[in-house]
Amino acid sequence: MTPERWAQIEALFHRAVECDASRRAALLDRACGSDWELRREIDALLASEASAGDHVQAAVRSELHDFGFSLVGEIVSHYRVLDGLGGGGMGLVYRAEDVKLGRQVALKFLPEESAKNPASLARFEREARSASALEHPNICSIYEFGEHKGRTFLVMQLLEGQTLRELLESSKSESSKSNSNAKSPDLGTLSLDQALDLAIQIADGLDAAHRKGIIHRDIKPANIFVTSLGQAKILDFGLAKLARAATNEGDEQDDERRDYGSTRQARDVLPFAIADPLLSRTGVAMGTAGYMSPEQARGEKLDVRTDLFSFGLVLYEMATGHRAFEGDTGPALHSAILTQTPVPVQQWNAQLPARLGQIITKALEKNREVRYQTVAEMRAELAALARKMERRDPNRWWAMTAALTAVLIVGAIFWFMGRRFWLPVTPSEARFLQLTINSSENPVTSGAISPDGKHLAYADLKGMHIKLIGIEGAQSIPTPETLKKSDVVWDIGFNAWLPGGDRFLANTHPATEDQTAWSSQTSSIWMFSAAGEGPRKLRDNAMAWSVSPDGSSIFFGTNKGKLGEREAWVMDSNGEQAHRLYEADAKNAICCLSWSPDQERYTYISTDDTGDTMLSRDRKGGPPTILFPPSELKKMNDFVWLRGGQLIYSLPETEGFNNACNYWTVQIDLKTGQRADRPRRLTNSASFCMSGGSVTSDGKRLAFLGWSPGFGTAYVADLEAGGTRIRNTRRFTLQEDDEFIGDWTPDSSTVIVGADRGDHYALYKQSLDSDSPEPIAPSVSGGLLTGAVVSPDAKWIIALVWPVSPGQAAGPISRPLPLVRIPIAGGAPELIFEMASAGPVSCAKAPSHICVVGELTADHKRMIVTFFDPIKGRGLELARVDLDRYIDPMVDNTFCVVSPDGTRLAMTHGPDGPIEIHSLRGQPTKTIRAKGLDKLFAISWAADGKALFVARHVRDGTELLHVDEQGNTTRLWKSLGPKCFGVPSPDGRRLAIYDWRRNANMWMIEKF
Amino acid sequence: MSTTHEVTRLLAQWAGGNNAALDDLTPLVYKELRRLAASQLRKERKSHTLQPTALVHEAYLRLVDQKNPNWQNRSHFFGVSSRLMRQILVDHARMKQAGKRAMRRVSLEEAVSFHQERSRDLLALDSSLIALEKIDPRKCRVVELRYFGGFPMEEIAQALDVSVVTVRRDLRMAEAWLNREMQNL
Repeated sequence: MTPERWAQIEALFHRAVECDASRRAALLDRACGSDWELRREIDALLASEASAGDHVQAAVRSELHDFGFSLVGEIVSHYRVLDGLGGGGMGLVYRAEDVKLGRQVALKFLPEESAKNPASLARFEREARSASALEHPNICSIYEFGEHKGRTFLVMQLLEGQTLRELLESSKSESSKSNSNAKSPDLGTLSLDQALDLAIQIADGLDAAHRKGIIHRDIKPANIFVTSLGQAKILDFGLAKLARAATNEGDEQDDERRDYGSTRQARDVLPFAIADPLLSRTGVAMGTAGYMSPEQARGEKLDVRTDLFSFGLVLYEMATGHRAFEGDTGPALHSAILTQTPVPVQQWNAQLPARLGQIITKALEKNREVRYQTVAEMRAELAALARKMERRDPNRWWAMTAALTAVLIVGAIFWFMGRRFWLPVTPSEARFLQLTINSSENPVTSGAISPDGKHLAYADLKGMHIKLIGIEGAQSIPTPETLKKSDVVWDIGFNAWLPGGDRFLANTHPATEDQTAWSSQTSSIWMFSAAGEGPRKLRDNAMAWSVSPDGSSIFFGTNKGKLGEREAWVMDSNGEQAHRLYEADAKNAICCLSWSPDQERYTYISTDDTGDTMLSRDRKGGPPTILFPPSELKKMNDFVWLRGGQLIYSLPETEGFNNACNYWTVQIDLKTGQRADRPRRLTNSASFCMSGGSVTSDGKRLAFLGWSPGFGTAYVADLEAGGTRIRNTRRFTLQEDDEFIGDWTPDSSTVIVGADRGDHYALYKQSLDSDSPEPIAPSVSGGLLTGAVVSPDAKWIIALVWPVSPGQAAGPISRPLPLVRIPIAGGAPELIFEMASAGPVSCAKAPSHICVVGELTADHKRMIVTFFDPIKGRGLELARVDLDRYIDPMVDNTFCVVSPDGTRLAMTHGPDGPIEIHSLRGQPTKTIRAKGLDKLFAISWAADGKALFVARHVRDGTELLHVDEQGNTTRLWKSLGPKCFGVPSPDGRRLAIYDWRRNANMWMIEKF
Repeated sequence: MSTTHEVTRLLAQWAGGNNAALDDLTPLVYKELRRLAASQLRKERKSHTLQPTALVHEAYLRLVDQKNPNWQNRSHFFGVSSRLMRQILVDHARMKQAGKRAMRRVSLEEAVSFHQERSRDLLALDSSLIALEKIDPRKCRVVELRYFGGFPMEEIAQALDVSVVTVRRDLRMAEAWLNREMQNL
């Protein structure tokens, strides 16, 4: 380029920049004329001008930052150094990856000076280790000590958040940006709630350390870390003493008096910072000196009370935004600490409770004898104050409680309830739009609508699909090569799409795992493209929770504990830059971390043994707000947040056993957790349930997984190979109603079939040779059948009736259940006796005459097994079986089934087995040991009494197994529904199979 | 301090037209800047972003004889320091990139790619500056002094003997041009 041309470009560029934007085009048209090259050049410069300076500066700054953190990119021991996090008086801190354990950690390099005194170093190490060994949630854990090129480093827990110093400064800069000429930093304040919350946490951590005799000696805002989830963590236990010893060069004494030689005073407190002339000139080094106790300033022997004074100063600053003592130089500060009384906190802020002022004053007593003597004492008073504040503000009662759970709401599966209990269907409004048309053979398992409403991503048993909404058909996404060999199931969450609508996330789970057992340990996070690129794995051993509304980050959970995932992590949308945000202790779990649509707050579910609690929290910190306590959250099938705090959630209907749910909406103030209006019903369905909702970014379309209640179908199949194979399976009943199989007649020609009709039942005989059923009891009101067994003499059908009528959901549980006999030739049911609870009923075949029934004791911890006779009623009590756990008959079945010859009972102590064969003839008990024989749903004896047909729950349905006494199992049938079972014919040639299925598809509602 | 004398002497020589003096000066200033960059990060501050101004200023105080402060010396030192900062950072970025390539053989997981991006930004800026220098050397100097030396506009104007308005216009044009150039790389 010639200098003339360059000058021409530059002149025109400046003219264009300086002229009014509206006249710019005209100016350029005129100036450039037909010189298109010039025009293009100017246009390009103008386009790039806007943030050009920032870009140039950013390129320099970020490199400079890395330059200072000279270890970035290096391998230190078995750590790969990833990034510089910051620095303090005690050295630089890096983010690093532990290559052995695959976790991210913080590496803190101590200054070179610290290596000068090995004895001090060893003592520091001891002290730091013992503080860390407390494993206290308010003390930052140290994993390891190491050395790299002569420099000692600590490997610490990587925390996401900021130091209290930074937190105070940022609230200050927000509150008074204009007031910048203050000589010493004039800090901002936290809310009182937040200050008290943090103070109590800090006190907890200090108390734990003090109880072990560990003094911190340098409590100050820069040594207290506040995680993104509001947890306070005390950093650097023992480091202050090391710092001192290091400058004293060999003056290693356990005697504090020697360490604090009175001639050294302030210079000793932060030797490394003081040693830096730049710092001493600007006076920044006085930071720590400002948090010393009087005894520390005087160089006296220290005890735990020194930490109390420093903590008092921290509390003062949190409450007022101002430091209690100020001074430009070390000596001035010393003198202030030793002689001055700080300005009372109320003078900074008259709103502060007087009690807080008293607590601070007592902590700041110069004479340690009149100070608080233990941190526990001070903590108790802070906690009392916090409680008092909560009482004053009834909406904050929870502020100090941390309660919580992971929510896996799984529909309770009860076999009594197994059939049609739903109300007559009222056709719902036309606003329901069905998006997928999967059959019951291949139900949709999850899905989500894209933010722009154009696409639906959904998963079914065959894999992952994408469909254009409004267009028929869907495109299947090929399963990634690496997953072809493993049997996995995809799960798409509610915030799965990136805002552009071109990519979405899904988790894989092993198909062998039940949904309730899904764990991050066996899950992986994948990114899919709507444009058809192959899916890409982002991370193993992790479960994605949500994508941030701006698409920049992904929240996910790892480290499955007893109650759910224990760690919350974040990574960028490429699956990189992952780091941990929060770690719950072993008794807690966290789930479903998600940003509010405006990204000002986040919501999450916290779990403990009291259940799941949904909370929200400001991104800047502050106490969490409880949105839903466990009692409310456990009812909700799902929840979707819309902009402005509108919540949409699916609730099961409380009326009737119809398994229906409906969507509701309520406006919630995320800051206070208060509802701004009354919940409003969005849908009105009586036979349909929904979950897994997702919304478009305009909040106008809601897509969800909807399922119909399902229906039971009876099949009959021929048994072969000793009962281990079925063949020639055919539909057995032809009715559209939900029909279930009861038992066979002794001649193996006919099956007793029950049909539930909402609030009454009917009994039929269905011959194998006939298409039409023969009625036994065509329409019996007063309840529903839960089983039908043919008596040994084949004269009766014995049935357990669930005395239910629509709208009486809670009724059956407390009421006795009538056990009735119905003449097999037809007739009215007659009461045999009332059962104390639902339980197994079974009869042997002739010539035996034995029937047994199992009932739960009142405390649900035992099952009482009793003989009975269809005519004579209750017989002798046979056994009391201790159960493994509390059994809710609405959820789990109990098992006690008499063998066809009446000589043995197959029973268990709970739904997870093992199955025991008890002899009624005094033979030893046999236990059937077989792998995976848990989550039992039904047990029946094979005709020859040598094997069992066992139904059990599996991840996506139920399976029916043939199990012999040696524990050999063979799968005969797989149902996609939650219930199936098999009853063999007395001649052992056939198996009647009941299979209950439901449809599940993606639906959408608009303009709700 | 001998380093101080040495640096002061070399600066004077360089100012006097001895270009070889610069070669001797470079490693001394480089070492000091590097040390300072690391120590600056130890301070407890809200932002951990290093300020080039502070670095260069500090290096000046340490390396140049303060008994006879001399505007010429100061201006020259800052000029050379700005250029050196650029060189230091470019070297660092190149080293890191080379390190990344070496690391990739060790591990397939590229957890640090963000840093690579940053380094690429700086290298892009450097090669754009090289191009700019060929067209308009003064603008290149202005950018160096501003971003690598952290100079205020007034001092840049004095050092280059132009008006502040000219510096501003130079900067605006240079930034727009560099930004476009960097994006095209």
